[in-house]
Amino acid sequence: MSVVGHPEPAMAESPRKARADAVQAADDRGALGHRFLRAGVTTLIWCVVLFLCVVPLGLVVAISFGHKVEGAGWEWAFTFENYYRFLVGANWPAETTFLYLTQLYWSMRYAVVASVLAVATALPFTYLLTRQSRRAQARWLVFLLTSLSLSEVFIVMGWDIILSNNSGLPVLFSASGLTDWMKATGWFDVLRDWGLASPRNVKFKTSEFATVLTMSYLVWPYAVILLYPALSRLDPSMAEAARTMGARPWTVARTVILPAVRLPLMGTALLLFVFLLGGYVAVTVFADPAKQTTAVSVFEHVRGSTLNAPFGAAQSVILLVTAAAFLVLGQRLSRRSEGAS
Amino acid sequence: MLRVFGHLFMALAAIVVVLPIAVVCSAALNGGRTMYFPPEDPTLARFTEFFVSEPVWTRALANSVIVALGSSTLAVLLAWPICYRLWKSGSRHSATLAALGSIPFALPPIVFGVGLGFFWAFLGGLGSIWAGIVSHAALFLALPLVTISIGLQAIDRAHLDAAATMGATDGVIFRTIVLPQTLPYTISGFFFALVLSFNEFIVMFFVSASAFATVTLQIFNSLRNGYTPTMAVAAVAFIAVSIAVFSAVARWGDLPRLMGADQSRH
Repeated sequence: MSVVGHPEPAMAESPRKARADAVQAADDRGALGHRFLRAGVTTLIWCVVLFLCVVPLGLVVAISFGHKVEGAGWEWAFTFENYYRFLVGANWPAETTFLYLTQLYWSMRYAVVASVLAVATALPFTYLLTRQSRRAQARWLVFLLTSLSLSEVFIVMGWDIILSNNSGLPVLFSASGLTDWMKATGWFDVLRDWGLASPRNVKFKTSEFATVLTMSYLVWPYAVILLYPALSRLDPSMAEAARTMGARPWTVARTVILPAVRLPLMGTALLLFVFLLGGYVAVTVFADPAKQTTAVSVFEHVRGSTLNAPFGAAQSVILLVTAAAFLVLGQRLSRRSEGAS
Repeated sequence: MLRVFGHLFMALAAIVVVLPIAVVCSAALNGGRTMYFPPEDPTLARFTEFFVSEPVWTRALANSVIVALGSSTLAVLLAWPICYRLWKSGSRHSATLAALGSIPFALPPIVFGVGLGFFWAFLGGLGSIWAGIVSHAALFLALPLVTISIGLQAIDRAHLDAAATMGATDGVIFRTIVLPQTLPYTISGFFFALVLSFNEFIVMFFVSASAFATVTLQIFNSLRNGYTPTMAVAAVAFIAVSIAVFSAVARWGDLPRLMGADQSRH
C-alpha cells in the first residue's frame, strides 16, 4: 500500500534494472530472433496506430482542399474555395453570406452554455458525492456511468417525449391548469417572449432551451466523472480547519474549495465544450432550422442531400480548429492564473 | 441544515438523470404503435418483437453485439502491448504512441467519423461490418489504454524486484505477477469499450454507409417516422446491459480507483 501511495522513488530505480535484466536474459539465451520479434511487434503497433488513428484525420484535412465536381463526386486539388465558402459564401465577392459562420456561432453558443451549465451543477454534486462512503460512491458511479454510456439517440428520445407538444410537459401544463394560471398572472407572455410558448400553450420544441437542456444533460455525467478525481483528492482537513475557525459554509466553498479545483473545473468545461461542438442528434431534433449548427451541416454535405465531401471536410477542419483554439486559450488562461496564485 | 440541503440536491440530481430514461422505459410497455406517456394498454409484446420476431431489429441487435464484442476485444489486444511498453520502459516513444492512440476519443466524434468515412471509402471497406469493428476499436482504444495503465501502475514494485532477485525471467514475472494483478483493469477497459461501442452512433453512421444498421443506427433511421414502442425496448435492453456491466466492474474491479479517487481515504 505504501508503495502504491508513493510510487516515484521505487519507479526511478527498477525500470532500468528490469530492462537490464531483460537484456541480460535475452543475451543469455542468445535469442537474436527474440529481439527481432520484439522490434517487429513494435513496428506493427506503430503502423496500426498511425494508420487507424492519424490517417483518417489527415484525410479530412487533405480532402478539405479538394474540389467538388458538378454532378459528380470530387477530385483532389489544392484550393481554398471551401474555406472561402465557409467564411463569405460561394459567390463571393459578388455577394457575401455568413450562413456558415452563423452555424458555427450556434455550435459554439450551444456548446458553451450547455457545458457551463453542466459543470456548474456537477460541481456541488460531485463534492457531496466524494464525502460519501466508498460503497455509496461506487453505487452512484454505476448509476452515472450507465446514464453516461446511454446513446445520444435514447436520451434525445426521452427528452423528446417529455418536451414534445402532444405529450409530456405541455399536456401536463394545460391539464393541470398551470397554463391558465400563467396566462392570468402574465408569466405566459414572458414565456412567449422567450419563444417557449405558442398562442395556446407552452411549447418547448423547437427552442434553444430544449437544445441546451438536452446537451447539458448529455454531458452532465461526464462532468461529474471528470471532476471526481480532483474533488476526491481534496484534503478535507482544510475545509474543516476553516469551519473551526468560524467560516460560514459558503465562505468555505468560495475561499477553500473553489480555488483548489479551479483548474480541473476549467479543464472539464473545455473537454465538454469540445465534445458538444460536434453534437448532432440533439440539435437536429430540438433546434430551430434557422439555428442549426456546423455539425448538422457537415452531415448534410458528407452523407446528406447536398453531397459535397470537400466542403464537409473543410467544415470538420474548422470545427477542429475551433476546438483547438479553445483548448489553447484555456491552457493560456490556466497557466496565467497559476502564475498569479 | 446544510446536510439536508445537500441530500435534497443529490436526490434532485438523481431524479433529473432518471427522468428521461424512465420515460423511455415506460414507453416500451405501450400496447399500440404510438408512444404514449404514461403507457396505454401496457403489454410486453414489444419485447418479443425486438428480440425475436421482427427481423429489422434482431438483425440490428446482432450487428450491435458483433461490433461491440469485436471492437472491444481488438482495442484491448492493441492497448496491452502499448501500455506494457510504456510501463516497462517509460520511454518518450511509447508515451507518444499512447497519446496518438487516444486522439480519436478526444476529438469531436463527428470529425473522426467523417475521416473514417473517407478512409474506408479509399480502402474499399465502406459499409462492411469489419470496417465498423476496426473503426470502433480505434475510437475506443483510449479506454483500455487508460484502465490498463492504471492497473500496471498499481502493481507493487517490491513484488517485481523480489521475483527478479529470485531469478524469475521476464516471461515468468509477466505470467505470475503482471497478468493476474492487471486482469481486473483489463476487463474493466474491455467492458467500458464494449458498452460505449454498443451505444455509439455518429462514427458508425459514417462507416456503415447505410449498408448495415446497428440498433442505435436503426433507431436514428426510424426517428423521422416517429417513435415506436419497440425502440424503447431497445433502450431498456441497453440500459440493462450497462447496469450489469458497470455493476460487475464495481463488484470485481475498483471502480472509485478507476475513476481516479484518492486511495488513502476509505
